[in-house]
Formats: sequence, C-alpha cells, structure tokens
Amino acid sequence: MLATFVASSPFLTESWRLCSLANTTAPESFVTDHIGTTGYIAFSGIQNVCGSDPGFRNLVQMDCTDGLFAPLLRRGEGEDPAMVHAGFLHLFHTVYSCPRFQSEALAIMQKSKSIIITGHSVGGTTASLVSLWLLSYLQQTSISSPLSILCITFGSPLLGNESLSRAILHKKWSGNFCHVVLGNDIVPRLLFAPLESFTSQLHFLLQYWQMSMASPHFAELNTQVLAKEVKAELFLFVLAHVGESARAERSSYWPFGNYLFCSDEGEICVDNAKATVKMLRFMFRMSESGDYGIKEHVKYGDWVEKVSSRFMTRRVVEGEREYSESSYEAGLDLALQSCGISRQVSIVGEAKECLKMARRLGRTPNLNRAYLAIELSKKTPIRAQIEWYKRCCDESEDQMGYYDSFKQRGASKKHSKINMNRIKLATFWDEVIRKFDANELPHDFDKGAKWVYTSQFYKLLVEPLDIAEYYRTNMHRVKGHYVEHGRERRYHIMDKWWRAHNSNLEENNKRSKFASLTQDSCFWARLEEARDWVHDVRRERDGRKLTFLWENIHNFDNYSRRLVDRKEVSIDVLAENSSYSRWMEDLRDLKSQLHYFPQLPGFFDGGMVP
Amino acid sequence: MKTMEGGRLGENTGIREELIRKACSLALKAHKAASDNKLFVVEKSRGSAEVIFCFGGSWSVGDWFTKKPFGETKISLDLFPSLRSIGNDQIAVVNEAFLKKFQLILESTTLRNEVEKAVTGKMQIVFTGHSSGGPLAILTTIWFLEKYLRAENNQIQPLCMTFGSALVGDRIFSHAINRENWSSHFVHFIMRSDIVPRIFLCPLSSIERELQPILNFFHKKSTYFNQEPEIKPHQALSFFSMVLRNASSVTSHAACKYMECTNLLLEKLTNFIELSPYRPFGTNVFCTKNGRLIVLKNPDAVFQMLFYSLQLSSESEGKEFAQRSLMEHFEYQIELEESLGMQDMVHLDGVEGIPLFSNRGAASELATSNIALNDLGLSTTARLCVRAAGELEKQKLRNQDKIDGSSKRKIKEAINLLEKYHMDCELRKTSYYDAFKLQKNKDDFEANVKRQELAGYWDEVLSLLKTYQLPDEFECREEWVELGTRYRRLVEPLDIANYYRHSLNENTGPYMGTGRPARYKYTQRWREHALNLPLKSSLESCFWAEVEELCQGKFEEMKERVLHLEGEISKWVCDKEIGMDVFSEGSTFVKWWRTLPYEHRIGSRVARFIDC
Repeated sequence: MLATFVASSPFLTESWRLCSLANTTAPESFVTDHIGTTGYIAFSGIQNVCGSDPGFRNLVQMDCTDGLFAPLLRRGEGEDPAMVHAGFLHLFHTVYSCPRFQSEALAIMQKSKSIIITGHSVGGTTASLVSLWLLSYLQQTSISSPLSILCITFGSPLLGNESLSRAILHKKWSGNFCHVVLGNDIVPRLLFAPLESFTSQLHFLLQYWQMSMASPHFAELNTQVLAKEVKAELFLFVLAHVGESARAERSSYWPFGNYLFCSDEGEICVDNAKATVKMLRFMFRMSESGDYGIKEHVKYGDWVEKVSSRFMTRRVVEGEREYSESSYEAGLDLALQSCGISRQVSIVGEAKECLKMARRLGRTPNLNRAYLAIELSKKTPIRAQIEWYKRCCDESEDQMGYYDSFKQRGASKKHSKINMNRIKLATFWDEVIRKFDANELPHDFDKGAKWVYTSQFYKLLVEPLDIAEYYRTNMHRVKGHYVEHGRERRYHIMDKWWRAHNSNLEENNKRSKFASLTQDSCFWARLEEARDWVHDVRRERDGRKLTFLWENIHNFDNYSRRLVDRKEVSIDVLAENSSYSRWMEDLRDLKSQLHYFPQLPGFFDGGMVP
Repeated sequence: MKTMEGGRLGENTGIREELIRKACSLALKAHKAASDNKLFVVEKSRGSAEVIFCFGGSWSVGDWFTKKPFGETKISLDLFPSLRSIGNDQIAVVNEAFLKKFQLILESTTLRNEVEKAVTGKMQIVFTGHSSGGPLAILTTIWFLEKYLRAENNQIQPLCMTFGSALVGDRIFSHAINRENWSSHFVHFIMRSDIVPRIFLCPLSSIERELQPILNFFHKKSTYFNQEPEIKPHQALSFFSMVLRNASSVTSHAACKYMECTNLLLEKLTNFIELSPYRPFGTNVFCTKNGRLIVLKNPDAVFQMLFYSLQLSSESEGKEFAQRSLMEHFEYQIELEESLGMQDMVHLDGVEGIPLFSNRGAASELATSNIALNDLGLSTTARLCVRAAGELEKQKLRNQDKIDGSSKRKIKEAINLLEKYHMDCELRKTSYYDAFKLQKNKDDFEANVKRQELAGYWDEVLSLLKTYQLPDEFECREEWVELGTRYRRLVEPLDIANYYRHSLNENTGPYMGTGRPARYKYTQRWREHALNLPLKSSLESCFWAEVEELCQGKFEEMKERVLHLEGEISKWVCDKEIGMDVFSEGSTFVKWWRTLPYEHRIGSRVARFIDC
C-alpha cells in the first residue's frame, strides 16, 4: 500500500525528469530546480569512477571526513565503524568541495521547505552521501529543523556496510531514503560480489551505461555491448554472491533505507535490510527478453512514465483461483504479483516468507505503547523501593548518602534487593529502547512527555547506582572511566530525548532547596574521575601533565560548586561522609600542602586558589 | 458480514421514499433561487408534516476554496461547541468558504425564525442541498443539533439529505458527529462517478486552471435547464486525472494508516505532499446507475470507495469517463426515480468481511454484496483497503472491550484502596494531602505505589484515545465520565503532593503549567462536556496546586486569587466536591490560611470551616 502511495505522489516523476536532465546536460555534475516549496538537486549518473580505480570496492571509514557526518558516527561499544565505498566517498568530496555546489545548496536550503536529493546510478550514491551530510549538518545546527530531506535514487549501487545501515536506522533516518530498483537491474547487486576478475568487462559496461544515459537513443542502437556469454557469466557470478549474501544474511556491503522494487506489474516497498537483500536475490533473474540486468539499468524512464498513470486504472488480479480469501494472505499474494514473481513457482514460497518477515507481525506500535504503559506501572513499586532506599540512606546516621551507601554496601538483604531492582529496571528500559529502535513503537514515542519525564526520572534515580556498581567492581580499571567507556546506551538515548524535549527551556530559576535528585546523573562518575586526578597530582612530577591535571581538577571544582550553589544536587552529595565531601577535604589538604611547595606550577596565580 | 438486501431504502433508513424524491428535486431547484440571491428556500406543502429547507450552490472558485492548499479552517466553537475531540482538545477543521456562507445565511436571513417556527409547530424538519449547497445543509443541520438537541434538550429529530455534496469537514468533524450519535441524521447520496464529492481530495494548486471553467459549466447546467453547455474534453480529462491522482495519494496514505504501516518513509513523505484533510461522515448511499443503491456507514470505507470507484478499467476510457464524471453530477433525480422503485438495496455493514474477488462466490451468501462491489468497480486492492477500514473499526471495539474488562476492574480496585487510605487519614484527623506529602508511614508509601499503578492504567486508556483507537463515542460514556471524575478528585491531590514534595515546580514551573498530567485534563474535559459546563470550570481537584502556589507569594500581591479560591472552596464544600479533611489541624491549607492578615481572615468565606 505504501508503494502505491509513493507511486501516486508527483515527486517520482519530477525526480526522474531532473535525473535524466542531469544525465544528458550535466555529466559529472548536478542540476537544481524548484517546484512549489520543494527544492530538487539531481546528480548525474555519469561520473568518473572507473573499474580500474585502485580503491574500487574498498570500504573506508567515514570518520576521516572532517566531521561532516559526525552525528552518524557516534557509536556504542563493540560496534564496527560505519564505512562506505572509497570511490563514492571521493566523488562526494569532489562535489562537496565544489564552490558552485556550496552556493546552490545554500540557496536551495534558504528557499525551500523541503528538499529532494536524487540521482541515477552512481549519481545515486552521491545523492545518498549528500543527504547524509545534510541530515548531519541540520542536526548539528538546529535541533528541530523545519527542512525535510528526501533522497530518491534510481538503480544506485550499494554504498556502505552494515554498521552504516544500522547507524542510519538508529538515527531514524531510514525513512529519508527511497531507493528505486527496477526489475533485474544488475547495478544495485554488483557490490555483493568481488569483481576483481571482471574489471575490464565492467569498464565496458560503465561506458555503455554512461553513453546510454547521455543519449537515450544509444541503448536502442547499440545492442551488443558484450558477448552474450560474458554477460551470462557476469550475471551468474553476481547471482551466486547475492544468493550467498541473502542466505548468510551478511556481506561487506549492506543496503539501508527503503527499497522500492518495481516490475511491470507494480511495486512494493521494503524497509527491512535483510528482506531487502532477499528481494534483491529473488527479483534477480533473466528477463523474458533475455536481458541480464544490463539494459534494465537505463530503463527507469520508461518505468516512471508507466507508473505515473497507473493509479488511473483498476488493478487486474491474475489467476484468481490460487488466492486466499484472508486479507493477510491476499495482500501478500498481491505484493508478490507486484514484484512480478508470482509465477516463479520455485521461489514463490521463499519470497512469501521473506515478505512476511518484512511485514511486522504481532501487536501494532500504538498498542505496544499502550501495553508498555501498563508494564511501566508494574515497575513502579520497584522504583518506589529505590526512592525509599535513597531516603533511608540520606537520613541514616552514618551520613554516607545514597551513592556511597550503595557503593560500599555490605552483604545485606536490603542492599541486594535494591541491586536486583536496579537490574530489573535496566532490563525494562533496554527493552523499551530495543522496541523503539526496531520500529515497534510509534515514531513520535520519544516526543511523548510521559515517556521523556519517566525516563529522565529513572536516569536521575538509578544511574548513580550504576556508577556506584561500576566503581565498586573496579570496572574502571578494566574498561576506563564510566563517562567515556562504561555508560550504557540507554542513558545516552534518554539524554537525547530529554534535550530534544527541553531544548527551549532555559534553566535560570534558582532552587529554594536542594533537588530531590542530582540533576546531572553523571555527577558521581565525574567525581570518581576527579578523585583519580587528585590522587595522581600527588605523584605526578611532569610539569605539563601536572598543569593538565590541575586544570581538570579546577574545572570539576567549578562545575560541582556551581551545581551545589544552584542547589541542583540532592542532599546526599553533601552528606558528611559522602565521596564528594571527602574529596573536597582531600583537595583542601592538597592545596594547603602546596603552599609549602611554591615551585609547583604557577597555576594559582590568577587567584584561583580560594 | 451482514448484508441486508432487497428491501427499500426507506425501510432501512426510516425515511419515506417520497420524501427523498421531493428533497432531491427541491435541492436541484434551489440553485435557480440561489442565482437570484435567495440563499435558501423553505418548502411547506399544506397538510404535510414536513418542512424542507433547501440550499442552493454557488459557482466561483472563491466560493469553494478560500485559499491554498485546501481552503480549510478551524471551526468556530461558539457556533459548534461539540465539533472537537474532547480529551485531545483538537478542533474540527472545515471548509472556510462554506462556513462563511453558512454564517452569512444565519446572520442575514430569516433562517433562525423559520427554523424556530418549524420547531414550535412540531414539524419534521429536513435540510437538503445538492453540490455546493450540500455543505450548507450539513452545517445548518449541525447548528440545529447543537442548539436544539444538545443545549435545549429538545427531542425533535432533524434530517439532512445531500446529493452529490462536496466534502466539508475533516476526521475530527466526523469523529465528533459519531461521538454525539448524530450520524443517523445525515444521508448523503453519491453517484458512482460524480466528481464533486471527490474534488476536495485535491489541492487547489493542482486544478487551479481547470476549476473555474468546470464550475461555469456546473453553473449553467444547474441554473438554465434548457441549455446543454459544453466542456472541452481535454479540460475534463486533465481535471479528472488530477483529482484522481490526489485522491489516490490521500486514500492510499489513509490505508497505510489503517494497516498500521510503520515504515518511516510514510511519515517523511507526508512532509512533501499536500494531503487533503477532508473526510466523509454519516450514512452514505452510492448509486450505481444499475438501479442498485449501496448503503455504507463506515466513513473510512466510504473514503476508500470515493477513490476506487472512480478507477478506470483501461486508460483508453479516460476521456469518456471524465465527461461522465461531470454529467453524473446532475443525474440524481433520474437515478433515484429509478432505483427507489427497484427495491434493490445493499446494506454493507461489517465491511471487514467483503469478498475479495469479483468472480467468486456467485452462489454464496456473499453474492449480492459481490454484485454491488462489482457495480462500483472495486478491484481486489480496493477491497483490501475497504476491509482494512472495517478491521480498524473492529479493532477499536476490541480495544474498548479490553479497557472495559480488566483495566476498569483494576482501576476500581486501586481507587477503592486509595479511598480507604483517604478515610484512614480522616479518622486520624490529618489531611489526606499532607499525610501523603510527608510520606512518613508505610501506608503512605503504599498509596504512592497505587497512585503510580493507576497512572499506568489511565495512560493506557489515554494512549489509545490520542491515536483514536477507541470507538468515537467512548468519551461520552457515562460510566467512564463518572469513573474519571472519581479518580481525578481522589488521586490528583496526591499527584500535586508528590509534585511539590519533590519541588518539581522548581524544575518545570507550577503544577498547573506543565506539571499536570494529561490523565486529569482528559477526565476533567469529559465531565465538562457531559454536563455541558463551560471549559475549565471543573478545577476542584487542582485545589491544592493553587494553595501551594499561593503559599509562595505575598498576600497583597495575590489578594484577587485568594478571594477567588476562597469563593470556590465554599462552593466545592457545599457540593461535596472536596472533603472536610482539607480543614484539619496542621494541613498545608490551614497553616497557610493562618498566615493571612487578620482583617482578611475575619471576613473570609471559609472562616466558618476553620477553628481560629
């Protein structure tokens, strides 16, 4: 159904019109246009990436690109870096550094409410990279950008690896990409296979495609680009590798975003990457006219024309007898017919399984959210117990406070119960975030005040316990300090939700009493680092390092004083025997000792010692 | 699936066929009167029990679209207080041009008087209109329902019949009419290929060039009966395909939503495309030109059919079909004459079960509905979408069943426990609010857990309401309105206590600003709507929040607010909307009140409740 929606929208036609304009009039470059409030940028499919390029099929990390894609590249622990095709990245840089691009892109961004970035063939990869850059750029400059970006590619080769695909999914950007793949077009499948042995043939093909793009009649005239046997060989070679990737569900290149698969019969839309690879496999077969997916690559124009009037007529169902009366089954059958494989008896079963996988089963997102509300309310007693525990700690006679009581806890039932609660809540929230990532929750889930506030409250309450546990078990010796190395992904995401929600809220009002929970949930982790610095300072003799340490200590001191001054900490921070109070004492000791060593860095001359 | 067949339309809708015929012919005639600047016509035949109000159309682009993209505007709640969704507080959107025209008629003509006369005469009142007269009939009917049924509780039942009417309101409009149980007052007749009921699925920008010539054509056709105006075939075709294209976009978008498509692309695309806000509502009768009438009540299914019944079987038909789509707009009278006589009516309820394939089940019990669907030219894709619309309706009922079952039981249990806690506090002569705020005892802690559990149950209900996943009438159901009020009065003070206990007001401002949970806002609006109270009049449960805020200020600066609050308190106490524990010794309220200047206290309206 989504595919019908996409197909009846005017921008497929418009995008293609500009793509072919770019192909014929602006080789190795791009064209721009305006329709209503939508700006278009189309990249030509004629680009200079030859098969002999030494970097061909090499993946490179995107990190090296001056932070252009910074928001995309932040990754959690143990994840592979996002990588893209070296040649395509190079192309992007050529475009990006071109002054005409800079000025025209800016002009379009100022004039439009929405931008469509599009490209045919290799131009599609540039379009994808430009879109990724623009999305990153917009995210860094403004929190909620009014500009919408859509990237439509036609027959684009694969661009990057699975990490890239996952990063885009986590950013919720996959909806910004729509890759149109026509029938058995070989280009989107090429990079599944190691092509070294076909270098010269590919060279030929590239030339053939580019000539056909430049002049639409070329394809009709010059039919014999390569010997039939060679084409068949290439086809089978690629087919074997696509098949392997589909079976193994992995490959060095991986699709991202949405794929719109088209055939003469109709089109379907798939957003699940695994299903995409499988569909790339199922729809890759010899066409009835004996084409090995080579001519198909330059036939997008014909398809677009056909699609733009398809909504006018009723869809005819073929071979009705085989169809089921259940809406679900019939829907699948129609989808298979749309990809033009309903008659391929050998793969129909598998293809159907694949589409089932792509269509999420089970409860729908809205019901999932409602169900989570109930689950959350079941977790409240657990959370309330932690709150209760905090109060007991804060009021207890040993004056250790919440954090230190938990960190230095003995083997009592009370503490271990709280530890269990901590773990249970972590499991719950991890599940929430997993569902959110997997699109099982509504898109605006992270905008709902209830969830933003509850997650924030959870974070403020429980993260100190996580930090305590981290330092109690000396994980920082193994993995490094908590803030950099130990913080769970859920907290980062909650931070993001909270910031997005409160972006326009200025915090200037001063509190009349101490907050019930410290407003920076990482306060204790920062303190632990500061403790290390104070410890190191006593032993360090290298003047430069010492200056650095003092600077850090000084920064933390300022930061913590500010929090305390604004009463943004909870009373446990100031408990007589809390780590913070002890640290302050330590620091005072250290500084008083310093007076005996006036030769040490002149760092305090600026009146920094209180 | 339930199909009623055979039968006459009149028997199933409770409308006499004679009345339908009469309304139709009058509606068409009203155009002539409208062109002579007579904005509406009243028809009372001697000796009959009906009064028919007919509204003629108007034919300039500005009378249809006031602005781009769809000429829509928020409806004015003064005239139409019910046309919103209650809890979500969303106001219905209507066509601005038609709304203005209606307001003009109401203010500048004798409409009010004529209606009043008919009401006093206890007549059967009928509003009718064809084409752009239809929206006027619809708006007048709703105005009537608001004024006579809702506000004055008059039991008179008006009827609204439209023929080839343009769409007038959005999803919330339709939701509100369903919720008020007003749908049965509206019957819309739609010819299978009449373009007019579909025009508003298309933004003005795509049909700007063709619209005026088409409207001129309609004007001539409707006013000068002896002329046969012409329209250029290419103009008709490009108009037709533009409307069809946009109808395809907006209906397939809606179908994606029915099927709960989670693809992010759907959301993103919505930013790039202008989708019509307008939706059908009420009972719709499709006329097939074979003498068959197909009656549908599910507005989402009607919406899908508006598009799919217009699809061609091959592109070569385009030109002919485009002409026909314009001509059929004027064929209601002939068509109804024929089909009302033929007694061939198919009533499609429970559309989730319609047959999917046109040539199936010729002998089965679905045969009749299959013939009907074939008459409308619905493909298998179309039927899947219509089924999805039916399935959505059923899902809403299932959601409601679940809420009515386990959720309601749990809510009641938790409320009972908290009520006991409230009583215990009263017995101990402490204020419920302060006991909870101090959180000293175990039962305070347990009350806190119950409070949070309840929040979960209510948030489940709310998250369904927010996405319109419960039946439209849910917010009008007495037992839920009652339960909501009970919950709000009992538990909101605890939420306020919790808010100020944690000084959350210093993070996010006063409770009544951003701190108040939606579950109390919703339940408050339910009550206000059910009892026809003014908006924001039911704030008794927020009493403590006001007290807390007043505690932080100086008396001199807030004298107004203090006096207002005291006035409200004495009212609430009399109506037993707040408990006497508020005045217990040591409660936040009493402590604060004692800090007020003596001169104020001595004359205060609440002095009699507090020991001085």
